[in-house]
Amino acid sequence: MKRMTKMLSIAATTVVLASSLAACSSNNNGGNNSASSNETAATTDNSATNNNAAATDTSATLPTLKRLDVFQGEDYATYPAGKLLEEKTGYKMTYDMLPQDNPTQKLNLLMASGEPYDIVTTYNDMAMYSDYAKKGALTDLTPLIDQFGPNIKSAISQQSRDALKVDGKLYGIPNIITYPVGFGILIRTDWLDKVGMKMPASTDEFQAVLQAFKDKNPGGHGSQDVPFTLKGDLPMIDDLVGAFGMPNPWNDVNGQLTPRLLDPSFPDYVKYVSGLYAGGLLDKGFVVNKDATAKEKFSSGKAGAIVVHWADIPGISDALTKAAPDAKFAFVPALKGPNGKSGFGANKGFDRLSFVPKSAKNPEDAIKWINASLEPTTFKELAIGVEGTHYTVDNGAYMPILPIFNDERNLANDYMVGTDEANYPQYWQARVHKDPVMFEAFDTLNNKTADADKILNQLSVAPYLEAYSKNNQKLETMSGDYTVKLIAGAEKLDGLGDFQKKFNAEGGEASIKEVNAWYASK
Amino acid sequence: MHSKKINEYALDTVIYVILIALGLSTLVPFITVLSKSVSEEWAITSGKVNLLPVGFQLDTLQYVVTNHQFLHAMLISVLVAVIGTLASLLITAMTAYPLSKRELPGMGIVIVLFVFTMMFNGGIIPNYLLIRQLNLIDNLGSLVLPGLISVFNMLVIKSYFESLPQSLEESAKLDGARNFTILFRIMLPLSGPVLATIGLFYAVYYWNDYFNPMLYINSTSLKPLQLYLQDIVMNADSSSFKMSAEDMMNVPAEGVRAATVIASTIPILLVYPFLQKYFIKGVLIGSVKG
Repeated sequence: MKRMTKMLSIAATTVVLASSLAACSSNNNGGNNSASSNETAATTDNSATNNNAAATDTSATLPTLKRLDVFQGEDYATYPAGKLLEEKTGYKMTYDMLPQDNPTQKLNLLMASGEPYDIVTTYNDMAMYSDYAKKGALTDLTPLIDQFGPNIKSAISQQSRDALKVDGKLYGIPNIITYPVGFGILIRTDWLDKVGMKMPASTDEFQAVLQAFKDKNPGGHGSQDVPFTLKGDLPMIDDLVGAFGMPNPWNDVNGQLTPRLLDPSFPDYVKYVSGLYAGGLLDKGFVVNKDATAKEKFSSGKAGAIVVHWADIPGISDALTKAAPDAKFAFVPALKGPNGKSGFGANKGFDRLSFVPKSAKNPEDAIKWINASLEPTTFKELAIGVEGTHYTVDNGAYMPILPIFNDERNLANDYMVGTDEANYPQYWQARVHKDPVMFEAFDTLNNKTADADKILNQLSVAPYLEAYSKNNQKLETMSGDYTVKLIAGAEKLDGLGDFQKKFNAEGGEASIKEVNAWYASK
Repeated sequence: MHSKKINEYALDTVIYVILIALGLSTLVPFITVLSKSVSEEWAITSGKVNLLPVGFQLDTLQYVVTNHQFLHAMLISVLVAVIGTLASLLITAMTAYPLSKRELPGMGIVIVLFVFTMMFNGGIIPNYLLIRQLNLIDNLGSLVLPGLISVFNMLVIKSYFESLPQSLEESAKLDGARNFTILFRIMLPLSGPVLATIGLFYAVYYWNDYFNPMLYINSTSLKPLQLYLQDIVMNADSSSFKMSAEDMMNVPAEGVRAATVIASTIPILLVYPFLQKYFIKGVLIGSVKG
């Protein structure tokens, strides 16, 4: 029943959106549309200002801006970062949030009904963004930025701005991703000491370590312990896939971007991992492991290694120190595979996008506000606060002062529209320093990994690719499920050819064509 | 004779044991969540919390019930549930009363019109457009007005009215009472059980309503509890790749989510036992045709 209502509502939003966007584009056909829409914008602007002035009196002529943002657990208006921006920019803001669940659906409704938001910030969704832009639901920001946005120009690189152009016009302002590598294999270093081995550097050594974990039982729970656990929907194990030359979902094979399932190294990878599984080195129950089950095994001290994101470490670490007080762990560095390959998939690109809908009442003021918030000292204060109050500088690294940093800056990124691209990745690491254990793990993956081993996911910087966007999720799930079966022995590698045909038929071929057409033109 | 009795006792015992076990088993998920809400976070992460709390503490619960947004959402929900229930009861009863008079002209058509809406409705798009045109987007009215009257509930009340003796009204009329007086001074006071039951139906509907607020409410300050819950409890799985690392570091802890669920369930649990006795009677009334 619930599913049905959901589907219905998705259908509903599409239809509503389509109809109202149709209205938008019919406006656009009027030829001199930019002039007329500017005019209406100006008049509504005036009336809004007048109303505002009448209502508040105190705020001279600046309108109150209406912003729609992603969900956060605290009230946007009262959180300290919001107050700071109000002070620094001089603009008052009202905030609405998108729901945590299915935000796109709600956003479609709001865009369709022409809610007069001045700024909308969402998670990066190129398909949605391009769609809005093409249907004329967004304001072209180029002239506004030229006129009112010197800070925006210096904060956001030309490259980022180019990446967001749709038909030559810029409709959005991006927040960049601040670090390249997220997932890795976390291993118990105290177990390594107990079995007298050093941190593995190759896939063979990794296998030997797991074998020692199994044979020598360093965890002390006998048969309850597993050498290596992971969750069931993550069969492409980070770091290990890199050792077989396919660190990203799509990798360059002889100049062509190729999905993993069609990669010539795929069978070797499967043989290696299914070997771990058959030898009892990989958790026998990994197929049914949920995210929480895998973490439970590791944080109760019963697993020697696990695949996790570094941001998950604080919770795991707290629990593990209760279960095994002398437990220590670290991420396994990039492992060398049999052919000498190694590396982690590295993401670049955007974390969030902000745009100004056509229905905005104050598009100029929105840009002025964004410009003011990207003024370098304001942006720094927004990101990490005031030196001596919220952070200290230690050897060039920004260290947070707790707990005030948590209370006043944890959610700062929700307020950002665009980022100071040159400096933000450095400021931002203050957040990772909140937990020294987490920072160490982060540092291993991101700062200590050789640049050559951080292999860029080309698709993370691709523009919107239609066939790829449409099929990717389905194909990923399909090949993920198949890989799990291969690893667990429910499918044989002999059948790979047939499955690849199916993969191609289900949209794989179309995606490959499209992706490589873009890749060749790059 | 004697042995048959023992057999019967044995059978009864088995049945009771099974039913009690089944009944208790429905409590298990609830107890687990309750235990998580008063356990320490490390114990939850490492999977040690089952039926009993590990590392008992009340900080998380206290954090949740003193959280400004939680309290605000709770207030909105209570407000909508109370106003909605009272308004719905009033409108439903006032609709049911004339329809319980068979001599009313054109009644057949009116009933058919009502029943028609039970089977067919416009769907979400027309509803959304309607609410938008009425300027009820981001207005608590959008949570109360669309569900103001349920035809099914109206028919239940109607059949209850029909079961009341005709002569009551006749004597009131002889004493000079008009229709409104008869409805409010005579019929409604006699309809306690059915009103309590239908009231409970409405209250639960308004309390649990999640879909309407999701569509129609944008501003944070008007979000009812169910939307708040949805935000806290759903999608907090860090494995969803949409999340940025900042969000993953800020995901509400499992214990906080459990405590939120507990704190928001308790109010409706408190109302239930008090209405339980009416509930049984009232449903029975609906099942007997007048």
